[in-house]
Amino acid sequence: MASTSDVRKGVVIKHQNDLYVVVEFQHINPGKGSAFVRTRMKSLANGKVIEITYKTSETIDIVSVLFQNMQYLYKNGDKYVFMDMSSYEQVEMDGDLVGNDAKFLKDGLGVVVGLYEERPVNIQLPKKIQYKVVEAPPAVRGDSASGNVTKEIKLDNGLLVHAPIFIKEGEEILVNTETGEYSARA
Amino acid sequence: MSTFNELKNNPRLKKVYEERLQILHLIRNFFWSQDFVEAETPIALRLPGQEPYLNPIPVDFIDPYQVSHKFYLRTSPEYSLKKLLAAGWQRVFEISKCFRNVESFGGTHNPEFTMIEWYRAPGTYWDFMDDAENLFKFIGKKLNVEKLKYRVFQIDYLNDWDRISVKDLWKKYLQVNLDDYLSVEQMKKLVQENGFAVDMKDSYEDLFYKLFLNKIETSLGIDRPIFIYDYPAQMCSLSKLCENDNRYAQRAELYIGGLELANGFGELTDPKVQKFNLEKDRSLREQLGKEIWPVDEDLITALDSGISSAGGIALGVDRMVVLFTGARDINEVIFQSVADQIN
Repeated sequence: MASTSDVRKGVVIKHQNDLYVVVEFQHINPGKGSAFVRTRMKSLANGKVIEITYKTSETIDIVSVLFQNMQYLYKNGDKYVFMDMSSYEQVEMDGDLVGNDAKFLKDGLGVVVGLYEERPVNIQLPKKIQYKVVEAPPAVRGDSASGNVTKEIKLDNGLLVHAPIFIKEGEEILVNTETGEYSARA
Repeated sequence: MSTFNELKNNPRLKKVYEERLQILHLIRNFFWSQDFVEAETPIALRLPGQEPYLNPIPVDFIDPYQVSHKFYLRTSPEYSLKKLLAAGWQRVFEISKCFRNVESFGGTHNPEFTMIEWYRAPGTYWDFMDDAENLFKFIGKKLNVEKLKYRVFQIDYLNDWDRISVKDLWKKYLQVNLDDYLSVEQMKKLVQENGFAVDMKDSYEDLFYKLFLNKIETSLGIDRPIFIYDYPAQMCSLSKLCENDNRYAQRAELYIGGLELANGFGELTDPKVQKFNLEKDRSLREQLGKEIWPVDEDLITALDSGISSAGGIALGVDRMVVLFTGARDINEVIFQSVADQIN
């Protein structure tokens, strides 16, 4: 049996006989009291999200998940296809489980895929991802004076982000995957 | 994330930081306008607080003779400010950098964080509940913020705030009378009945929070801010007992959008009872295998010299900034948080 110190994003927990993948967890110390871990997790059966708060050191049934470096290939219906570059084996992951991270995926992107009994249950994106700008409206004289310091630009995987007005089409930029925002020129 | 690079390139984060600096300025304006004085007390203390579950960070001061003196970074300026009350100040506040070890690097915690703590003597816990409400409204009106934001919640804070006793809260969410669950044994039963695991070693406070965090906290203050007050007495080492029911004590916490913002007390000013409570906390620290140090006798002497009734509260400024700016994480409101410096 594991304890709360083993809880990480992407681990799979058995709770009341159902399996859940941890999507978010947070250590909290209520009112200067002892430490707890608030865990948001998604059901592997139906994608439903539940929230449970465990006391630190409480026993938790964590099932074993294998974390593997893989490359994103393409979308197949509502599934996402990844390839293990060492074995060339491909896996398909449910759109439900990819969730919001889907918008950051692009052809050839390296991610860490968590596998439970060979089934992919979560992905971990790099902190920053490099994209090419494919559409960027030109800056208009007077923009900064009127307070428009950013504009919406389109990236090579279709992602839309706000970027400083000096960014031009064809440039390479970095996007912060925690916030989904422009980070810097690459 | 709030590094030089992010502040330069991300206008949203730049605005968050600008608002943080304005909020600090407005906090000072508010308290000075209410006849408080701004105190400045030591960050490094030889004898920090005895809270059983907090972990003060040790630092060594070495004198010119190479003799080392062990100090700790404060987890709150509480004792120092109470000593100022004993010295005769009636309304004091301090915007203090505090430190707590073994807490998350991000989310709702950073090991180094900012607190606004204030005391009134004479004063009661009702006074600081009013102060907190007025403080938020004062800042919000100056910044033109109509709703506080946290996660998916938009919180109306410009109208009257809610106040509910912990006992009424348990009636509302768990349909039980808390009077019947004031011992460890009774509370264990209630926790199990609600489907949560109980450990032999769980203290009353652990059991209380297992239910509170799972069944109550996330719904607190999601429409408007709420103060919950009068906690079971065994959870309050620094509070005075309630006058009408000594099984409960005058402790109050503020919740906004399910987030804990502040913790305050109708201050315990009886030196003998205070010493007894702190010695008890100290032995609990010892049992838990935590670092220990003597009770600060200077605090007990200060109380003994006489403080009239007092009320005091500590409010997390970083979390307050999160609410006013709608930032997603405490690290977005702190320039160069611990996580930013490590990664």
